Amino acid sequence: MKPLKQSRLVQKLLLRHRSNNRLWAALIALFAGTTLLLVAVMIWWNFNLILSGTHDNDSLGSTFLTIGKQVTDQSMGKKGASLFTPKEISTIENAPQVQDVGMLVSNRFPVYASLSVANGFSTDMFLEAVPDRFMDKQPNGWSWEEGNTQVPIILSSDFLNLYNYGFALSQNLPQLSQTTIQALAFDITIGRGLYTEQYTGRVVGFSDRISSVLVPQSFIEHGNKTFAPNVPVAPSRLILQVKDPSDKRFAEFLQMNGYTTNAEQLRWNKMRGVVDAVATGTGILALLLMGIGTLVFILFIELTIAKAEASLSLLLQMGYSPRYLGMFMLRRFVPLIVITLMASAIIALILQEVIAAKGNALNVTLPDLPGWPVWVALAASAGVLLAFVSRSIFKAINQEQ
Amino acid sequence: MRLSLEHIVPIPLKEKINEYNSRVWNQQLTFNSGERVFIQAPSGTGKTTLVHFLYGLRKDYEGKIHWSAFKMHEINREQLSQLRASSVSVIFQDMRLFPELTTWENIEVKRRLTNTVSEYDAEKWLDRLGVKHKADSPASKLSYGEQQRVAIVRALVQPFEWLIMDEPFSHLDYANRQRAIALIDEVATMNRAGLLLADLDDNDYFTYSRKLLL
Repeated sequence: MKPLKQSRLVQKLLLRHRSNNRLWAALIALFAGTTLLLVAVMIWWNFNLILSGTHDNDSLGSTFLTIGKQVTDQSMGKKGASLFTPKEISTIENAPQVQDVGMLVSNRFPVYASLSVANGFSTDMFLEAVPDRFMDKQPNGWSWEEGNTQVPIILSSDFLNLYNYGFALSQNLPQLSQTTIQALAFDITIGRGLYTEQYTGRVVGFSDRISSVLVPQSFIEHGNKTFAPNVPVAPSRLILQVKDPSDKRFAEFLQMNGYTTNAEQLRWNKMRGVVDAVATGTGILALLLMGIGTLVFILFIELTIAKAEASLSLLLQMGYSPRYLGMFMLRRFVPLIVITLMASAIIALILQEVIAAKGNALNVTLPDLPGWPVWVALAASAGVLLAFVSRSIFKAINQEQ
Repeated sequence: MRLSLEHIVPIPLKEKINEYNSRVWNQQLTFNSGERVFIQAPSGTGKTTLVHFLYGLRKDYEGKIHWSAFKMHEINREQLSQLRASSVSVIFQDMRLFPELTTWENIEVKRRLTNTVSEYDAEKWLDRLGVKHKADSPASKLSYGEQQRVAIVRALVQPFEWLIMDEPFSHLDYANRQRAIALIDEVATMNRAGLLLADLDDNDYFTYSRKLLL
């Protein structure tokens, strides 16, 4: 007679009453619950990435804001009323969510630009500079030292749009592409009266972040020192690096101090509320489903054990140890749980890939793989599930004689 | 392995056992390893109850039972399974086979627990008791006599220092009983094991070192 495998005999005695329908129901509920939980964490995590700007999502304007003082009827006539004092700057540095503050320094000297190729087109203009760390782009040639006759300029993309879709159309002028603009050389004259300096200006890039005409900081400093040495260099606008612009406390701080910013840049404030609600709702639903799934799974195990009660009791009487029988049951059920959780993890991987692709299409850089909070959520749900299942198995076995 | 009974009194029979002179209940008894003990127990005196106490199936008694270092009143479930798997074997009065398993599977489920008896020996013993041809029959289809013989072989396919038997031959005819006695005697001797047999009537199935009235 053939020797028989012990595990097959024990399986025949303990698991022959297993109801596959109940098992499938439990596994499907577990799968749905875990997947929803991971989705909720992913919504929260991806949105956090966009807000905190860890993936350089500057085009959303979510991490860098330009603020100025609101021009009111009272402040209109006062010279310097719109400038920030060092005390105000230090308060802003300590405001909620603010990580860094940079000054937008403008020219305190006249600037006159002309374009010889465009039939003598000329205009007075302004220039501003910010520290390089606040720039979204630093194109090649973005530097200036005393003695250089070429001045690189970064133009706000908004200005080009205004020209192309507003001015050019209404005045029957040709629309200009970014490359065309970059090919043009301006004559820039700074200073007044007898003492002026001549430079050639060239647009080297376009900024989505800062609505201004930017030149390197060294150029503005040189001009202000040379042509307006006695005028205090106080900034009229500040650029802030903000961790989470959707934070209500930050919005309240701006409002309380009468600072203005592009309202659109705070749109995340409302969006954040919606995302939080969606993530919380999904999370609660996920926990509910996981709870039901776990409950059904545990009931299924308890029912299986209850149906095999006579065999289990006799196996214990034969000398089978409760630990062996408990581990035997656990070994049969754990792979099912692992497979279910792995299926949820695969869905999360695919979903993140899709989110990253969709984000790319909207110029939002998001990672292709789910981040650690998703894996932590998966590990935590696996831990809780295994703890419940093993507890119910050993409890049921220990109740037997 | 020494078996000690220190004034065992079953709680459900507490009143009743005072009415007669039991040599087991409420006595101080010690059985040395290798002893062969017969306990004669007329109906209703608690024969099966005693077997269940000794095997750790019931704990509703006063007094103490020791299997050498194992104290039955303090033993945990893991130690109890260890005791049952490798030191104390039992033949129940009601056989207690798995009805859904075949004869051979019933033997294997016990033999595989310790793997100390070869399948060749197990098969030979089934053959000696005349149930080898029933190896593939479900236990539920066996007659009582066949079930009892399978239960005897099952009790022998593990290492044991004591074999407890509760009316082990009640369903066997003379010839089958003799074969079963010979097999048990041989395997117990091989294991240098003690025997404790409880039955209704006096008998000389084995060469007993002690006979006690329950």
